[in-house]
Amino acid sequence: MSRHKISLRVNGQSYELEVEANRTLLQVLREELEMTGTKHACERGDCGLCTVLIDGVPTKSCLALAVEVDGREVTTVEGISKGEELNAVQRAFIEHGAVQCGFCTPAFIIAATAFLKRNPHPTEEEIKEAIGGILCRCTGYRQIIDAILDASRKV
Amino acid sequence: MIPKFDYLRPKTTEELVGLMAEYGEDAKLLAGGTDLLVLMRDKLIRPRYVIDLKGIGELRGLSWDEKRGLRIGATATLNELLESEVVKERFSVLWSAVGVLADPTLRNRATLVGNICNASPAADTAPALLVLDAEVEVAGKDGERIIPIRDFFTGVKRTSLKPGEFVRAVRIPNPPEGAKGGYYKWGRTRGEDLAVVGVAALVANSGRRIMRVALSSVFKTPLRVFEVEKIFEGEGPLGEQIERAVSVVREKIAPITDVRGGKEYRLHMAGALTRRALEELLGGS
Repeated sequence: MSRHKISLRVNGQSYELEVEANRTLLQVLREELEMTGTKHACERGDCGLCTVLIDGVPTKSCLALAVEVDGREVTTVEGISKGEELNAVQRAFIEHGAVQCGFCTPAFIIAATAFLKRNPHPTEEEIKEAIGGILCRCTGYRQIIDAILDASRKV
Repeated sequence: MIPKFDYLRPKTTEELVGLMAEYGEDAKLLAGGTDLLVLMRDKLIRPRYVIDLKGIGELRGLSWDEKRGLRIGATATLNELLESEVVKERFSVLWSAVGVLADPTLRNRATLVGNICNASPAADTAPALLVLDAEVEVAGKDGERIIPIRDFFTGVKRTSLKPGEFVRAVRIPNPPEGAKGGYYKWGRTRGEDLAVVGVAALVANSGRRIMRVALSSVFKTPLRVFEVEKIFEGEGPLGEQIERAVSVVREKIAPITDVRGGKEYRLHMAGALTRRALEELLGGS
């Protein structure tokens, strides 16, 4: 199998890595960079829990090869807040009890943060559409939608 | 875990043609990866070489002009289509199909060309391309050729591409004057799922009367039902013509029973969605 030297910027920090062709971005983030905020679940693009931003665009990292992401800027949930200071979406999730088991929370935070940057004043329908690629296995969508709506009013 | 393979990233189509000629059936092409990597992980296919198309500049993006219509490059993502004003305004049937394909995150990677090359009977963009008379621009070691989309799908997951050929782009002529269109997708859930039945319709009722219907998930390939097209050219009340179109659609499709729905249910919903599509699209004109 081919091996590839890649450079990645993850949450503002540069990494030079050597990866095998079949390694996904998800595996590299979790296993090599030890950033386990991004969750490993269905591994087939259905549930969206591995969502990260690649150059600011939400992407399911289980369906992206690490070698494809060479030279790109990746943002994970670890890089979404300013140190200890949570961002508006994170604060709203706490306030609205939008975290149940918590497994899907990083993906929703990432996707909602990117979405509100593009569409700062969305309708509820637009929020539902935007988070359509992420599965909350606890089915706590009401609180998640409320939190994102609330965050949009406070941004 | 995805089984082992060698990753290749050509920078030109010449280089790509060379790699495909060299590795033949051992190689698979990668655009968005949302079908390919899942098939590889499930070990349904085991390519020794994966050739990434995203390094090739000329396969990127969309272009449109008044004369030639729309051209969609092999690595253009579905969200690029969705964000295009031209696609939204002039190719509304395609725009509405793209908007209900999978989910917004997946559409940041998934491509239209990948959707047709995967050749699922449930491919959401295929019925729209069929009613728009799209053409598939193919290249390979023996040169280039154009395949009309109606000849592209040959069976479940099968296309008329020959070994060594790849799809460079999909071209869509500008729709007829006054045309309106939409894709009506019936799924088990409102969110991400394949269609139980999908109906794309393109109609025009000003000047030349046109009615085109194509369906997904009710035949071994996406299917355009050409037989409905004469109905609308004749005389008679619109309501009767629509009912005749519904009957013809139900005669020509051959749905199966699977996890998403029964054969009878699909037959019924194909008729119901055809009626809804034609009534809504023709209602305002």
